[in-house]
Amino acid sequence: MLLYLDYQRDGQPSEDDREEVEAALRGIEHAYERSGDGLLLTVSYSPAYFGRFDESLPEGVDLPDPEALAPFEDPEFDTPDAVVHLASNTAQVVLGAEEALKGNKSTLNGVDQPDATLTDVVTIADRRTGFIGDGLPAEKADEAEGVPADKVPEDAPLFMGFKSGFKKNQASEDRVTIQSGPFAGGTTQHISKLDLNLNQWYNQDDRWQREAKMFCPYHAENDVIEGAGDNLGTSSKIDDCEPTDETAREMGVVGHSQKSARARDDDDSPLILRRDFDSTDDGTASLHFLALQRRITDFVDTREVMNGTDVTEQSAVGQRNNNGILQYIRTERRGNFLVPPRSLRALPPAQPAADAQEVTYESS
Amino acid sequence: MAGGGSFVGLAGCTDLFETQSAQAPPLPENRPDAVYYPTHYEGMEMPGMKEQSGYKCALTYSYAHRFWLMKPNGISKVEIQPEDSIHLMPVVWDTQTGIIPPDVNPQLTITQDGESVDQFAPWPMLSQPMGFHFGDNAQLRGDGTYTVEVSIGGPSTRRTGSLTENQGNASFTFEFEFSESTLNEISYTDIPDDKEGTKGAVGLMDMEMLPNSQVPTPDALPGDVRGSGTSGDAKFVVTLLDDASRFGGGEGQKYLAVSPRTPYNRTMLPMMSLSATLQRDGTSVFDEILQATIDPDLRYHYGTTVADVQSGDELTITVDSPPQTARHEGYETAFADMPDVQVTL
Repeated sequence: MLLYLDYQRDGQPSEDDREEVEAALRGIEHAYERSGDGLLLTVSYSPAYFGRFDESLPEGVDLPDPEALAPFEDPEFDTPDAVVHLASNTAQVVLGAEEALKGNKSTLNGVDQPDATLTDVVTIADRRTGFIGDGLPAEKADEAEGVPADKVPEDAPLFMGFKSGFKKNQASEDRVTIQSGPFAGGTTQHISKLDLNLNQWYNQDDRWQREAKMFCPYHAENDVIEGAGDNLGTSSKIDDCEPTDETAREMGVVGHSQKSARARDDDDSPLILRRDFDSTDDGTASLHFLALQRRITDFVDTREVMNGTDVTEQSAVGQRNNNGILQYIRTERRGNFLVPPRSLRALPPAQPAADAQEVTYESS
Repeated sequence: MAGGGSFVGLAGCTDLFETQSAQAPPLPENRPDAVYYPTHYEGMEMPGMKEQSGYKCALTYSYAHRFWLMKPNGISKVEIQPEDSIHLMPVVWDTQTGIIPPDVNPQLTITQDGESVDQFAPWPMLSQPMGFHFGDNAQLRGDGTYTVEVSIGGPSTRRTGSLTENQGNASFTFEFEFSESTLNEISYTDIPDDKEGTKGAVGLMDMEMLPNSQVPTPDALPGDVRGSGTSGDAKFVVTLLDDASRFGGGEGQKYLAVSPRTPYNRTMLPMMSLSATLQRDGTSVFDEILQATIDPDLRYHYGTTVADVQSGDELTITVDSPPQTARHEGYETAFADMPDVQVTL
């Protein structure tokens, strides 16, 4: 769950409000263990929030305003001050934590909650929910318009029918962690909302096309993928695909993973750590694409290779047609955020004093 | 909004069918690997036309259609689904030149009373009466008023001349009164059994207010037309321009342009991967890809700069990928298996 928050006070936050936010967050943390079986949470802040301060963010924190990231998209930009991301393997834990943050629960999981509540100092501007996990999309297909009946595979973790976020396609937490400066130990977060067109995907494309467009034509040709792709293990085996530009020229179609795998650093590491999940918010099949990376630029670079603009200029692959999964996704919203280290997670200043941070290097 | 109107195909007599099943009669037997007369063709309706940011957009529709999507080793058929109401086609063109840019993929959002009804990016398609267009079957909720937003982004194919100025986004909103009875008034023309499935094509619709997606006749192409050839039933016309500067060429360089088109209707064939070699006295003097480009005069074509071309040079055009546009009936068996084209310049 993503709670988009507007800080109620104009200008810079007060120390009292910081304490209130921290106390509210600790309240829900004390109720559950910090794991997928319990509760995981992050708090992040937008460029609009840091605009409240006279000082700009330290050099080395790359947090621009959000922008359109493809020639064919025209998203709305999210400008609330902050986002709280609540995640758990158990939906009730997330819903309970949300209620506690709003001051609607005196105890959570048997643990007394503080008098302090998040909503004393912030207003909830938007609430986005979702899910990821084997079988959940098929189960929830009825909740959204335009999801073809009985077409989402029973075991698929995501609406498009395939596993994603293969371990070897993910950046490590170290790779996405800010290394120095007062926000060291933190990271940046990009959240987009992507609407999915599953009618074309399931009713018009065939399995060969879905495999070719999600992974690469080589995988489709050679029956590499079984079902949702669990047989692939920890990697989508993109090294077996031909180079993207050659595939584009000779096959006229390129895969999403094939293109995206080109976004790597000098150590051959991917640049972003995906934490995306599907949604039926507003009765629409969609994807909340949440990605963590050291700098927002890393996300922009990754999206650029996914656009494949270089490929379309030089081949039969279209701006969206046969161009990975671009045909089926429409970017509705984009937002950029800074996830500060834990010690600065409650209404941080733009320029924290050097000694304000206890260096814990806890992963966000 | 410009006035709406309905358009009737040019060829053949008009028979009106009002049943959904009529939209997908059995395909002709023994379809040739070439452009052929389909079982039938349909007119279309135009609810409106808008202009913004150097582009015009007409919203048009017809009956829901079956069509085919391209794959590297064949095609896959898309059947009409029971929920499909219409085939919706947003036609976007550059106001100044009348060129329909195949690289600008529109996004459609259909709403009713503020509620989402359908949203999709229509496929780039080739049809005999419509030529090149973007289209897909849409699922409406019966008779009523719909709002259709057509949004387009920047280009992704190289452009030259005045077309380079048109880089921006645009969005067109239409109020669309839909009724089954209006849909059923759209013409439906059967093609006689002895003609369907034989080589040939239905003519382009006479769309007075809309531009077509044709490329120039060889006579009307700029430059010195040096020859032509065929492959997969497509015709490739080769022309040589003395001045390559607007295509990124240096001083003294020439521009070699290949202009593929459908037979009969001269519709452009976009979204191919083409490459070419040039042999002179048995020696290769050139081996490059031909880059898809939209030029106000050459229109959609594939080209490259060259140092020189001499009389008698052997040009070999290789189709690395055939047009990746979806196909309507009569085009799905053509422009698929496309051997090299040899032209002596």
